Amino acid sequence: MKRLFFLVMLTGVFSLLSAQPRITVTGKVTESDGQGIPGVSILVKGTLVGTITDLDGNYTIETEPQSTLVFSFVGFSTVEMPVANQAVINVRLREQAFDVEEVVVVGYGTQKVKDLTSSITTVKSEELARTPTGQAMQALQGKVAGLQVVSTGSPGNSPTIRVRGIGSYPGQNNEAPLYVVDGMFFGNIDFLNPADIASISVLKDASAAAIYGVRAANGVVLIETKSGGYNKKTEISYDGYYGLQVAQNVLKMANAEQFTTMAMESGSAADASFILNAMQRYGRSRVNPNVPDINTDWYKEILRPADIQNHSINVEGGNQSASYSIGTNYFAQEGILDMKNEYERFNLRTKLDFKATEWFTIGGNMILSNAIKYGEEAGAWNEAYFAVPILPVNDPALEGIAEPVNYANAQDLGYRSGQNPFPTLRYSDNRLKIRKLMANFYAKFQLIPDKLDFKTTYNHAFTSLDERNVRLPYFIGNSFQRVDASINKSSGIFSDQIWDNILTYTDRFDLHNVTAMAGTSFRDEAYSGLRAGGLNFPYQREESWYIDQSQEKPEGSVGDGGSRQYGLSYFGRLSYNYNDRYLLYATMRADGSSKYQQKWGYFPTVGLGWVISEESFLKGHRIINFLKLRASWGQLGNDKIQASDGAITTTPVNVAIDDVMVSGTQTTNTFSSLKWELTEETNAGLTGRLFDNHMSVDADFFIRDTKNAAIYVKIPGIGGSVLKNVGVIRNSGFEMALNWDDEFANGLRFNAGVNFSFLKNKVRDLYGQPYIDGGSAEFRQRTYVGHPLLAFYGYEVLGVYQNQAEINADPSAPANAVPGDFKYRDQQKEGEPGYGVINDDDRVILGSYFPSFLYGGNLGLSWKNFDLTASLVGQMGNKILNRKRGEIIWTPDGNLDADLAVNRWHGEGTSNKYPSSAGLRKGWNQKMSDYFVEDGAFFRLQNVQLAYNIKGLQLFGAGMPDARVSLTADRPLTLFSYNGFNPEVASGIDTQTYPIPAVYTVGLSIKF
Amino acid sequence: MKRYFSITKLTLFMAALLLFPACHDLLDEPAENRTFTGETDYTITDNMDLPLLGMYADFYNSEWEVFPLISVRGDDVNAGGLGDQQDFAETDKYNYNKDYWMSNSVWQNYYGDLFNAHSAMEQIAKYQEFAANKGLADQYIAEVKVMRAWYLYYLTLTWGDIIITNGPDPSQLLVAKLSTQEEVMKHISAQMDEAIPLLPAVHPAERADIRGGITKFTALAMKARANLTLKNYAAVAEATGQIISSGKFVLATDFYNLFKIPGKLNKENLLELQYSDFGKGSGDAINYLNDFFGPQGWTPKVTGAGGGWGFYEPSLKYIKFMLDRNETIRLETSVLFTNRGIAEIKKDAKYATLPAWISNTTRSGDRINDYARALFASGKHYLPSDQLIPGRTGYGSNKNFICIRYAEILLMHAEALTNGANSSAMTADAAVNLVRSRAGLPPINGVTNAQVMDEKFAELAMEWGIRFYDMVRLGNYAALSYDGRTFTPDKIFLPYPQNQVDQIPALKEAVNK
Repeated sequence: MKRLFFLVMLTGVFSLLSAQPRITVTGKVTESDGQGIPGVSILVKGTLVGTITDLDGNYTIETEPQSTLVFSFVGFSTVEMPVANQAVINVRLREQAFDVEEVVVVGYGTQKVKDLTSSITTVKSEELARTPTGQAMQALQGKVAGLQVVSTGSPGNSPTIRVRGIGSYPGQNNEAPLYVVDGMFFGNIDFLNPADIASISVLKDASAAAIYGVRAANGVVLIETKSGGYNKKTEISYDGYYGLQVAQNVLKMANAEQFTTMAMESGSAADASFILNAMQRYGRSRVNPNVPDINTDWYKEILRPADIQNHSINVEGGNQSASYSIGTNYFAQEGILDMKNEYERFNLRTKLDFKATEWFTIGGNMILSNAIKYGEEAGAWNEAYFAVPILPVNDPALEGIAEPVNYANAQDLGYRSGQNPFPTLRYSDNRLKIRKLMANFYAKFQLIPDKLDFKTTYNHAFTSLDERNVRLPYFIGNSFQRVDASINKSSGIFSDQIWDNILTYTDRFDLHNVTAMAGTSFRDEAYSGLRAGGLNFPYQREESWYIDQSQEKPEGSVGDGGSRQYGLSYFGRLSYNYNDRYLLYATMRADGSSKYQQKWGYFPTVGLGWVISEESFLKGHRIINFLKLRASWGQLGNDKIQASDGAITTTPVNVAIDDVMVSGTQTTNTFSSLKWELTEETNAGLTGRLFDNHMSVDADFFIRDTKNAAIYVKIPGIGGSVLKNVGVIRNSGFEMALNWDDEFANGLRFNAGVNFSFLKNKVRDLYGQPYIDGGSAEFRQRTYVGHPLLAFYGYEVLGVYQNQAEINADPSAPANAVPGDFKYRDQQKEGEPGYGVINDDDRVILGSYFPSFLYGGNLGLSWKNFDLTASLVGQMGNKILNRKRGEIIWTPDGNLDADLAVNRWHGEGTSNKYPSSAGLRKGWNQKMSDYFVEDGAFFRLQNVQLAYNIKGLQLFGAGMPDARVSLTADRPLTLFSYNGFNPEVASGIDTQTYPIPAVYTVGLSIKF
Repeated sequence: MKRYFSITKLTLFMAALLLFPACHDLLDEPAENRTFTGETDYTITDNMDLPLLGMYADFYNSEWEVFPLISVRGDDVNAGGLGDQQDFAETDKYNYNKDYWMSNSVWQNYYGDLFNAHSAMEQIAKYQEFAANKGLADQYIAEVKVMRAWYLYYLTLTWGDIIITNGPDPSQLLVAKLSTQEEVMKHISAQMDEAIPLLPAVHPAERADIRGGITKFTALAMKARANLTLKNYAAVAEATGQIISSGKFVLATDFYNLFKIPGKLNKENLLELQYSDFGKGSGDAINYLNDFFGPQGWTPKVTGAGGGWGFYEPSLKYIKFMLDRNETIRLETSVLFTNRGIAEIKKDAKYATLPAWISNTTRSGDRINDYARALFASGKHYLPSDQLIPGRTGYGSNKNFICIRYAEILLMHAEALTNGANSSAMTADAAVNLVRSRAGLPPINGVTNAQVMDEKFAELAMEWGIRFYDMVRLGNYAALSYDGRTFTPDKIFLPYPQNQVDQIPALKEAVNK
């Protein structure tokens, strides 16, 4: 009986099996743009049956009608499709955004995103390509949380970069991060073509940056240039754009009528008489007979639209043992200031990697950059700001008198200086030739295959700067002339070498994964410079602009300089994870530097991570695909401070004795003896991928203390200051970046992201001093414990005295107060000492130049062949000192901004914001107060780009290469309330008198 | 294969090991392009004058704002520069602002120079250890002492109670106490007593090594000035007497050119700040910024010569005073007239007609046009355009700046004698009449103290505030209350600059008292 039952069952099973006819399913697997993907793996779920797609993405598989097919491929999200008895199943795979398996570049190595315990943000080359700029860092504006990029409009100049606030004293460019380009250290990367960059990683916290030790206190920016790839089909591509720069947000200055009103109300008979002089000289305006007939808008006169263009050709590819990427790039940018002002750069680049044998790889990388920059005369902007509107550009009365061109002279009207910016523009030539050669050779040995390898790298960066500044003579008036043609030349050579040796061991046993690295680095940085000058050479032709041709070679113009610094470092890293779940990371670096009295510094870091999403209670969670908690701590040194003198020094000086030049010596008594600044940072954060990898979250909370902060301490009594290690500065904050990437059924791809950071800067200790003064005597900045570094310190303005009764009612009003003067807040209450008088005890902290909130956002849409991206950036919480309005303290001769001219007090009830015109000249109203300190918040539409992709086009029967045409507007809109050109003021003290241009370009990209 | 690995690995490690010890030493290399004072070879006695010359460079390179702030408050001169530098004009009218940048700058300049003086003296002392001629080092140190005395003298005249420095380190200011003006002047006098025997007893132009440098007579002059403020007339008479008796100094016959290029290193000058164009029309030049004093609009005889900013205007009171005395050469040399200024004088009925020689064209041919900032310009700070080296256009280029001259010594002598002191060197009458005869005025018999002060007013106007500090010392506040100003004793000293009060505890304490 049992045997019969068994037989029946067996037959039944067989018949069941044979009752389901296996079907053949075919189809095509494509990516989002419709192209077929070869090599995609298709598995019948639950079995070992599978196949892969062919070169066109087509596949054929036999399976049961009720089974499920699983489609997977590296870099794409896996898709499961139930067969449901269909014969044709086409699948579109979505590129996986936010892939945690992605490898990012970290110091001296690479790590997978999922293994990181530190705070690192990486930006890829496609993102960088969107911004038309010659300076790579400019393209990062708004894309990295906690990174502040302060633009400059001048061609060839790099923007100011700050990572997570300021650690040390601003202003000497010692807050810039360390740039590492293919392993070589640089202070600035102006020579790099952004299109040559494969990725930029910003190492934000101490544990990421500490591997670079003494230079990493302000963050590290790692840049990898594009390489080819092994077994990669040769790809030739052209990228280029051409565009126009147009000045934006040009500050409105007072026009002739407003200026005249100000002069008449100023109470100065002299200034009123200058207006009359102008009317006598140039006539009266027909519109208003009390105003001269000249109304010059100086900014309009000196600005021009300027073009910008970039062309790159790149060839890359490789076979099984070699990989190469070779390219050339030409970039040219004119400046918007109407003088010889431009930047032109030509680069050649080659990167080669060879697998000489199985265990030996060798490679070389060279970048040759040849640039020429005609720098603007920054003084011209200043002159245009202060030049009076009642002065014309050319003066007919000076025809024949002024040589070579009859530019107008404000001294003819009675002003102290000539004011006209055109002589500065037309008779100055600043040429700088920048030639850089960066070469890098490495050899890598696989000592134990896949486990132990040794890499030695030698880097040499050679920069030659050749500067020639020529000033041509002119005559406009007795006190507005240049008699001598002068030439000043200086040449500087920087030769920096680095030799790194790194041993890396990677292993896994059981569930333990270990990577250990040990290395040494030796640095030799040398600089030598020479300068000389000459006077009176035949200046009519540029061929004669040489010191050799000069009649006179002033002794004072000759000099030389040099420096040589050495560094030696030992470092190591341990990166361990258990079952991809528990992460441990530690690095240690010992740095020796010849720069300070303290030779050696030791910088350890440690980091921990926990990939919660791998734990059983979260694995396979519907929403959370990946969640990692991480924390780290690290110590860094900062050697960006200038080398300390360490001892008193003697300098030669010249004196005239009996009409003979004699030299003597002066010995300084104040010298800096500096230790390294030490930065200690604790960072805690999380990294997450949610909603089926549609959303990525990165959040960090950090506290960074700079100890032995090198701050300029005023030398009592004599002015001037000296650097001393005198404090502890704390920067703390919270950063977050959220990104969403999605694709809809109709083919619309969508990605959006927002990043923001809250920052706080506070001084924690001044080693016993109650405060340290900084800034200048007239615009005091003071550092108090518990407050931001160099906060603005002055009086609070309550308003303006409107009438005499108000003055009489105020006990703190000074004896000579008149309506139209500022009313300051008396900080003391009645009964307290100091009440009833405005004195230095009534000064308070007015704000900090440090923004407390930075934000950026981006949006991308792509549909069919179109894509549109937009990004925005902004900041809040910072104050700016409008230093231009303070110039009146030294000379009241110049023009004012229109807001001040229109909104001055000129009668009861007319204004409570600004004093009267006469009041502006009174010392009482020139005190450091919040009249000078304005809100620097801004919002900017950073970049908008619309592009069209041309694929698979056929012309005349031949297939055309893929191309992409784009239209970009960079910085088209900036909104701010500050009375200046640009609210991005790196140091908070705005003397800037030039606008930042918006750039509109048309771009073309072709891949052969 | 494995063998290749080991050999390669070994070679590389060996190379690394050999290389790195050498690298370690490189970390100790000192910085480049510095001369560390610690490495100066003090045995080279020839270099002993280098710190001294460095101090002369400091002394001569005075910032433009120092002289005006020190000198403007007298009734001989007005601020000028109308509409420009409002606080400077207010200072002239005795309305002081402790936040004024000029005030802070002058303090910083002079205290900086004081510390440099101490530093220079220390350096010279180091050379002295090895020098054969130690007396020469003593002389150099004495020269620096005189310069130091100059700074202290003007600091205390301007601010009253100040800090006497005692070494080169500025941080001493953080713990120092204030000294009264009396203490400072006594200190200066004592310092000069130390310096006088060590200095050469020659005219500055007779010095072979540093021509125009400091001599015994410069020190005597500073001693006389200090004691004059102390009203120690015996000491004044004694010190000025020594200068007179030496016979080294003679009043210049050409008063007009005394203040111009021909007057450089003149027999009348005891101390001057030296500048030069080095005989060339272009290239190196070391000059004082005379633009401050220049008329804003002029038509110079030599086209292309630059004008100035229009500050430092001789007062109407001074001009009328000189007209009353029928002065000719001294008025012409001290004041440059504009037509607008002349009209302003004539508005006063007493001066409806003026001597014919008064015009807006100087005797050197430069015409001073009307300009809004002032009515007159200082003649003692004027350089005719035809005295410029062709090619140079800066106002006052190549001109020296006189600090102390013999006329002041003679008048101080007379002042002391009319205050009861005795002297065998020269009588008060003789001294005053020497000055008067040079000015083309008739002699006086039995000169009174008031007449000596008037003579000082006429002779020394616009020079280093001598008039203002004289009036303050004599308590003659009425003289200083002119042209709408009211002078009261609380206005004698400027308030300490706020920037200094913030940094120096002793000043903060004084202000809060």
